[in-house]
Amino acid sequence: MVETDSAHVQAESAPKDDQGRGRKTARPGGSKERFNPTDLGAFGFLIPFLIAYALFMLYPVIQATVMSFYDWDFLDTTRREFIGLENFRRMFWGTEMTWSAERLWPLRLLLLLMLVPLFRAMRKGSIPKAPAISFAVLVVAIFGVWLGFHPGEGGRWFDSQFWLSFGNTLLFVVMSTPVIVGTGLALALALNRGGRMVGVLRAMFFAPYVLSVAVLTLIWAFMLNPGIGLVGIFGDWFGADPINMLNSTTWAMPAIVLATLWWTVGFNLVLFLAGLQDIDTQQYEAASIDGANAWQTFWNITVPGLKRTIRLVVVLQVIYSFQIFGQVFIMTRGGPDGATRVLIQHIFERGFRDFELGYASAMSIVLFVAIILVSIVQFVLLPKEDDA
Amino acid sequence: MSTTISDTETGAAKSQAETGAVRARRTRLFKKNAPSVILFVIALVWLIPLWWMFSLSLTPNEILQRDSQILLPPEITFENFISVFQVGLSGRWFFNSMVVATSTTLLTLFFSAMAGYAFARLQFPFKKILFPVVIAGLMVPQETMFIPLFLIFDAFGLHNTHAGLFLPRVGVPLGVFIMTTFFAAIPGEVEEAAQIDGASQWRIFRQIMLPMATPALTALGIFTFVLTWNDYLWPLVSATEREMFTVTTGLASLQGNFAQATELGALMARGVLASLPLLIMFIIFQRQLIRGISLGSGGK
Repeated sequence: MVETDSAHVQAESAPKDDQGRGRKTARPGGSKERFNPTDLGAFGFLIPFLIAYALFMLYPVIQATVMSFYDWDFLDTTRREFIGLENFRRMFWGTEMTWSAERLWPLRLLLLLMLVPLFRAMRKGSIPKAPAISFAVLVVAIFGVWLGFHPGEGGRWFDSQFWLSFGNTLLFVVMSTPVIVGTGLALALALNRGGRMVGVLRAMFFAPYVLSVAVLTLIWAFMLNPGIGLVGIFGDWFGADPINMLNSTTWAMPAIVLATLWWTVGFNLVLFLAGLQDIDTQQYEAASIDGANAWQTFWNITVPGLKRTIRLVVVLQVIYSFQIFGQVFIMTRGGPDGATRVLIQHIFERGFRDFELGYASAMSIVLFVAIILVSIVQFVLLPKEDDA
Repeated sequence: MSTTISDTETGAAKSQAETGAVRARRTRLFKKNAPSVILFVIALVWLIPLWWMFSLSLTPNEILQRDSQILLPPEITFENFISVFQVGLSGRWFFNSMVVATSTTLLTLFFSAMAGYAFARLQFPFKKILFPVVIAGLMVPQETMFIPLFLIFDAFGLHNTHAGLFLPRVGVPLGVFIMTTFFAAIPGEVEEAAQIDGASQWRIFRQIMLPMATPALTALGIFTFVLTWNDYLWPLVSATEREMFTVTTGLASLQGNFAQATELGALMARGVLASLPLLIMFIIFQRQLIRGISLGSGGK
């Protein structure tokens, strides 16, 4: 039981600190520095997992990277041809392309502004971090400029559905992250003062998390239907026109965010509660003696004490949000009018409906790189725990 | 009760002393309990959607066609649950999910405990390279691997089999990460004593380390079971025959067909049965599941 806390703290620092821990775990245990033949016995413990890891993780990642440079049709085995960057050109390019400075300028300005802290981090950062950050700088810079390209008169994107679904995925990330992280934090702060009830309340808010995505959609697709679900009653109370949010291009995405909030907020709540319990209670006592009000206490003690947890939760939340698929695929199939079509649905349909596995792999690599990139940027931009 | 009273007499109620002890006590009791009560009400509201699913599953379909905006069934029936096992393949899907989730969990526990022990406690060549390589796998989303995985399982003819459904998750390094962290935290004296007695690595692992790891293994096991039971993308790709659907993909497939909602109760009953094993497990193993999350910070 005692180990829980230290393990938990170490777990939080993944994946950034894994090298450090690798070194640390290498130290204890055996007493010998040089290995002798009996050390090979360790591989007996490792082999089962290593085989599974190599087969179902390492090989697929390498293979997906390779396939992203191929025209690879699943059914037509004659279509297995190396085509270089053609798949990526299909994603990011079109006909009659022109470049204009003002296209998507708020987003591009934001991207270019992010270069400043990234550069600063690169200059003062340690050597092992440098390649990752330089990579981030490079990609952010390229996209800051690249997004100015668009099809001009009479032109079109080679795959406009890619941009649509990528944009919707980003929209979901941007909408859901503050809502789900914020609600999780607010609930954790409220529950943390709940006394004896904490355990019960935590369980109640966490319960939806154990439901499968198909149960979530079963409940919410009908809940949100004004003729069938309870949401219709609220509509009656407020005299609002009953609309089916999932059928509205404006409201479909907020509805998905709402359902996802209900489903997963318990996960963030649990992490935040654990983080709050690590804060030294003496700090609060000292603050109340000094006559600090609730707001001052929150900003000067709770927030600094939670920095590490906030960073972890935000990074994880963004990663999960990028991977959104089941909720929309079951509830709306990406509709109405593609308003909720997300990247994984696009990958899934290109790969397993049209059997264009090469192109689908290329898109899955782009998703992977986007997730890694956003995580790096967040690790640089979000406050560090050692600032406090 | 008595503690509250003495609290009031000795403690913070002093400032309100002039308004009278009784009133002060009441205010204090209210102040102390009001947040909990409000939160409890919010939590109850939070669970209404879940409650609604249970209510509808116990209501006759004819009533639901007229009015489904209810919190309590006006009339209770078990027809819907009986129909689950008479009509369609839900029973079969339930069985598939049980087999797949149990197999994944057992294999993950077995592989992770051994690999975690080796990484945390044993010396061997290339350890400093292997561990980061394994842990790097934590960052790779499932979606990056599912196309090559599809081809591998196709080559071996393993699609639409249980093995095809449970094998891919065994390679996920989250369990190894959790177990390595756990074993690394155990003090070295424990095994040194055993080494002096001449116990083999295997015996130290089985008779000393494994029993100590029971709490961590329970947490990992529950967590893995929940994640596997709820897996959607891989079963959707790999098991395309209706007989081989899991509860999750099966229930998802019904939602398209039942769109007219003429059998809302029957559909909700299937939702209840799909959730019941996990909800029961959650109620029993709540602590372990939540610890699994804290340990791994892993997720869906």
